[in-house]
Amino acid sequence: MAESVGVKEVKVIEGVTCPFCGVTCDDLVVHVENGKIKEVKNACVLGKDTFMHHLEGWATPRIQGKPATIDQCIDAAAEILAKAKYPLIYGLDSTELQAQRKSIELADLIGANIDHTSSVCHAPSLQAVQTVGISSCTVGEVKNRADLVIFWGCNPAEAHPRHPSRYSVTAKGLFTPKGKKDRMVIHVDVRPTPTARMADAFIQIKPNSDYEIFSALRALLKGHELDQAEVGGVAIDEWKTLLEKMKSSKFGILYWGMGLTMTRGKYLNIVALLTLTQELNRFTKFQAAPMRGHGNVVGMAQVLTWQTGFPFAVNMSRGYPRFNPGEYSVADLLAHGEVDAALILAADAIGNFPAKMAEHLRSIPMIAVDPKESETTKVATVVIPTAQAGIAAGGMAYRMDHIPLVMKKVVDSPYPSDREVLERIIAKVVAMKNGGNGAPVRAGGARG
Amino acid sequence: MPPVILRVKEAPTGVPLEAESISPDLFADRSREEIEALPVALGNESHRLGDFFQVEGERSDQIEVDGSIPRVKWVGSGMTRGRVVIHGDVGMHAGSYMRGGEILIEGNAADFLGVEMEAGLIRVRGNAGHRAGAAYRGSKFGMRGGIILIEGDVGHEVGAYMRRGLVVIKGNAEDFLGARMAAGTICLFGRAGLRTGGGMQKGMIVCMHPVELLPTFAYDCIYAPIFLRILFKGLKRLGVQPTPQQANGLYRRYHGDLAEIGKGEILIPA
Repeated sequence: MAESVGVKEVKVIEGVTCPFCGVTCDDLVVHVENGKIKEVKNACVLGKDTFMHHLEGWATPRIQGKPATIDQCIDAAAEILAKAKYPLIYGLDSTELQAQRKSIELADLIGANIDHTSSVCHAPSLQAVQTVGISSCTVGEVKNRADLVIFWGCNPAEAHPRHPSRYSVTAKGLFTPKGKKDRMVIHVDVRPTPTARMADAFIQIKPNSDYEIFSALRALLKGHELDQAEVGGVAIDEWKTLLEKMKSSKFGILYWGMGLTMTRGKYLNIVALLTLTQELNRFTKFQAAPMRGHGNVVGMAQVLTWQTGFPFAVNMSRGYPRFNPGEYSVADLLAHGEVDAALILAADAIGNFPAKMAEHLRSIPMIAVDPKESETTKVATVVIPTAQAGIAAGGMAYRMDHIPLVMKKVVDSPYPSDREVLERIIAKVVAMKNGGNGAPVRAGGARG
Repeated sequence: MPPVILRVKEAPTGVPLEAESISPDLFADRSREEIEALPVALGNESHRLGDFFQVEGERSDQIEVDGSIPRVKWVGSGMTRGRVVIHGDVGMHAGSYMRGGEILIEGNAADFLGVEMEAGLIRVRGNAGHRAGAAYRGSKFGMRGGIILIEGDVGHEVGAYMRRGLVVIKGNAEDFLGARMAAGTICLFGRAGLRTGGGMQKGMIVCMHPVELLPTFAYDCIYAPIFLRILFKGLKRLGVQPTPQQANGLYRRYHGDLAEIGKGEILIPA
């Protein structure tokens, strides 16, 4: 029988969606040789690295640091979750839609708090949209129509490298045939970033002055004169000039980033921003949109809203969904030391959270479901490795403008997908609850 | 009527206890056994009130909690009558949706104190957390009536979205005091954080110390508001004693937020 050595099995997969950032570029071409990714075309450096290095740093299944089988890990995870009084399910933004859906089913079953990584990035944007609404559009509209693009507190040149070329700066569209020449690009930030180099104008503002600036712009837009000569370290006249540019544009878009959501003022910064862009619609067509981080970060908020009515920080402990950022949000649950068990899926909570919160996570039984080793898997009670969504597992993802895209499976993985792991944990928890005292499983956990 | 005394048997330390059943409305017509059997939720588990508290007395709308219960949430939520005294700290949501009666907290209150209350009185001897007297996420209006009196400091967004009622803070406040308030009165004796009254439509915020105002507040005049004398007369009955300077002095009036309809007032002693 001929050895397979030397026989190359080459596959070229087109139209692959990148799972790295919120732009989720869906035009990647991936070359696979003998089950290994050899080349990725069309991707930016971030996306390319995600594919090329996906074999590195894989997690291994283990319990209490000792090697175990996936089955044993799933049993151990189910036992921890079934016993917990106030568990937390967190992470979820770097996986696909069906896994996210299953995580909500599990939260309902065990009466858990469920929150995702948006909670520490763009959750204030979601709160602001809930408070005042949003005038927004897809990136396709920006590509085809926008003649004024403002990047405020975000840095797409480094964080979303293909956003400017595909949609917002150099992209050529129906009413923007000359690309960059048909657009004015303005960058507002507290310091110059690489995005400033591709912008026509850069406005440097004082840190933590965004709320004041949006309020002042809104007052100026209403025709009020202000007593101050400057706001946020920039002369009022310069803000008036910006306002004129906004009003005289044919189709304006304001993209904001975590420079607004995670600085002093939080969701109220975004409330002020969104109201400004809404009020500009009295003069022209003006939109706003957040620059979202992880690949399917929008998807989790979409699925959670569709299933529970709320986009993040949802609690199921009483058997029905409740929403209260400040109480059920991951930062507060951990800072108050309330949760007694945690399932962290596709996120590095220990690596990213402040010491006090990480300390509480270390002190409770924690299950890490992740394709890769991280600070979280290092200290987790149970580690369940999975196939990386978007590379070794297929599914759906939402782009940052709420457009669903198909994520393709390009290579095989020895490990199950996030969805499969969650399905098996759910089945095990159901069996334990039914087998334990014969009581039927109720939504919200086994409450007497 | 002698009060029902709840002695803390075992205070929850980690997982929070949700005890909206600690309410005069529910205690008033119940025997001791019935009070002990009232449901509480420890995380996702159902328990009896008697599992956590030793109950003394019965059939009373006067409740005394003998001890600190910082992990017990929703105490006195939605109550319409009677009195709840907590000899110590209390957890989140105390007195939220309250429609009457009185709550006295001798220690500190956590976040969401008296959120969306409609009437009644809440007094806190210590500090209160964020969003006291404000709205729950997604609600259009916060506190709709009643009085919240806090002797210590408060957190962010206190009195945000207020629709009516009075919040008195003897200590300091953090950012966004009275943010987006629609009406009502906030009286701050300590110092304010940033962006006081941000997005306010109507209503009044009295600050006894100089405040860094948003650019969208405009100066009007110096005057001696008669309304304040009447307010302070009422406050005296609650044990708040403004200085003669504060009670009879002149105030600088600012109006805003000009980004909104700009009919709110901020008063600062001249």
